Amino acid sequence: MTEAATTDIAVLLSIGRHPVSGRARRAATDAQALEMALSLRPQRLTAIHAGAAADAEALRDYLGMGLKRLTLLVLPEGSDPVEPLIAHLRRLAPSLVLTGRQAEDGEGSGMLPYLIARGLDAAVVPDVVRVGPADTSDATPGKSAIVQALPRGQRRALSVTGRFVATVHPSAASARASAFGPARRGVIEPVTVEATADLFLSECEHRPWRPKPRLMRVKRGGSALDRLKAATESKSGMGQLLVNPTAEAGALAIYDSLVEQGMLP
Amino acid sequence: MTTTQIRRRVDPRAERAARTILTGQRPRLLRQPVVAAVNERRRDPRALRSAALVQSQPRPRYDWTRDATSPTTAATVGIAIAAAPMIPLKVIAEPAYLVIAMLDRPGGEIGEHDRQVIAAARLLADAGGGAVVTVCTGSGEALAEAGSDRHVALPNHWAEDYVPERRAAAASALMTALSPRHILFPDSPDGADVARRLAAAAGERLFTSVQSLGPDRATRQSAGGSLETAHRPTRLMTVAADAFAPLDGVRHEARPLDLETSSVAAEEVLPRLGGVRRLAVDPDALSLSETDFILSAGNGVTDWHSFADLGEALGATRAGSRVVCDAGHLPRERQVGASGTVVSARCYLAFGIAGAPQHLQGITGVRHVIAVNTDLHAEMIKRADLSVVADAQAVMPALIRLIRERRHD
Repeated sequence: MTEAATTDIAVLLSIGRHPVSGRARRAATDAQALEMALSLRPQRLTAIHAGAAADAEALRDYLGMGLKRLTLLVLPEGSDPVEPLIAHLRRLAPSLVLTGRQAEDGEGSGMLPYLIARGLDAAVVPDVVRVGPADTSDATPGKSAIVQALPRGQRRALSVTGRFVATVHPSAASARASAFGPARRGVIEPVTVEATADLFLSECEHRPWRPKPRLMRVKRGGSALDRLKAATESKSGMGQLLVNPTAEAGALAIYDSLVEQGMLP
Repeated sequence: MTTTQIRRRVDPRAERAARTILTGQRPRLLRQPVVAAVNERRRDPRALRSAALVQSQPRPRYDWTRDATSPTTAATVGIAIAAAPMIPLKVIAEPAYLVIAMLDRPGGEIGEHDRQVIAAARLLADAGGGAVVTVCTGSGEALAEAGSDRHVALPNHWAEDYVPERRAAAASALMTALSPRHILFPDSPDGADVARRLAAAAGERLFTSVQSLGPDRATRQSAGGSLETAHRPTRLMTVAADAFAPLDGVRHEARPLDLETSSVAAEEVLPRLGGVRRLAVDPDALSLSETDFILSAGNGVTDWHSFADLGEALGATRAGSRVVCDAGHLPRERQVGASGTVVSARCYLAFGIAGAPQHLQGITGVRHVIAVNTDLHAEMIKRADLSVVADAQAVMPALIRLIRERRHD
């Protein structure tokens, strides 16, 4: 099943930005996407970055993970990378495109995988932690099995028909370290492409982010005392109290309470 | 202070004269006091103060808004009863435009984030006489109180299964049917996924994770959180969590709109994602901050085999207090409290934990706490929703037996 999907993989890599120092680096989830692609051992693995040529040195962090070569679609500053990427991927026709969830620099809207899936007429699966069957039971021919991350650490198994674009969740397998030697030896192949300027972003107004005060849940209405109580007192249960019950009675009370909360079937 | 309490002026001689019975050998005094003349102009500050006192421990607090003539809490209760129907119903009969709020409704109820999305939609709608249309599975009075003018109910069976393509198709059909000025989504994993699918299909620009919103300006964080990007509100936006205060004390009509076409159009979509099922997750592999159910041990636990068996039987993530982690019974990343992890689980089952302030600080976000402790006066017993004053070593094996018994039935 996944044999067909994982023989030809394209990975879209972006240049990340360290949250504190602001230096260019490999983007965290993109590196995890590359890690996932490398661990699937595809017959062909294509790594693509679209952007200005100036920051290309930061891409060597990806080469240090074991890539031999990386395609750089050279775009002018402030242009939209979606159209050139779609055109390039149409020529490659990979069966699986892996990428990070959201860019660490630039607009960071998380739209790129969806637009590329639209351009390639492929399905899109967000927040993937594993490509491959969760267990041996769900191997269906013609479909790829996928494990997706949900909030609160939960996991969901899916199957996808046809080719697809997957974005990688931060709780996927962590990326291997980048080694200096392979990073030097790897080749970045620049390809000049046509691109249109992103008019929407140039319309936007940018300024440094200032942290906002946290939203407090203030309950309106009621008397002054009610509002004071709501704002100052922490929620204290003071619910049911059993003093020195037998062990069985105590256990039964706990069991019933857990069933009521939906924690036990 | 608006009202003054009147204290009777005591005239001892007049009272005594009124109680005196002169028949008989010598004058006798009646025992029961007789109502004396009242001085209207005299007020008693001590009585007023004691009537306004609502709490004396740990420090006195006064509520001067209450009616001082009725020193019981009847006045505040009366206000609370009267306040519920007092909220006037706001009807927008002829909206100038529509703002759609596509809600997640996780777990079948209108969540906090959904309310915030409706509040953000109200900001846009109230600026020019528009109406808010909520779209989710089910319906209910909660939507009206959250501020929804119209409601489109999606089929109920959509709540359980995960087919994002179908939701995106329904949203797309609504976009053509109602031609709203804005569509807002919660910036949750599922909500933002549907928003992006819709934006890609409609060829619209999505303004994600909006932090502040006005009729002519919306802002969001970009460049990894270092820049604030502002633009006038676009047609499709997702609303960041905890950026807007949910509405309180409003009542809108939440009139159901009958738009079968949207769900019919969506049912025709051939989804590429399928075979959806939840996977069983090893609870001990989850980090404490993301797990939903925690079994926690404190200094009162000595039977660690039972504790481990109980964790397995319950399917709960094991954790402990600082003392337990210091002693090496549990690894350091399993420590709950101020110097460990601040947890936000739905249920917290604590064995042998007295409840140090630092530990209680770690469980402030927990909804349901169950405590088992030998000390009736422990702080944990006060915090818990169910408290069992018993020895943890006796309750744990009994609970394991009970769970195994019920499972085999």
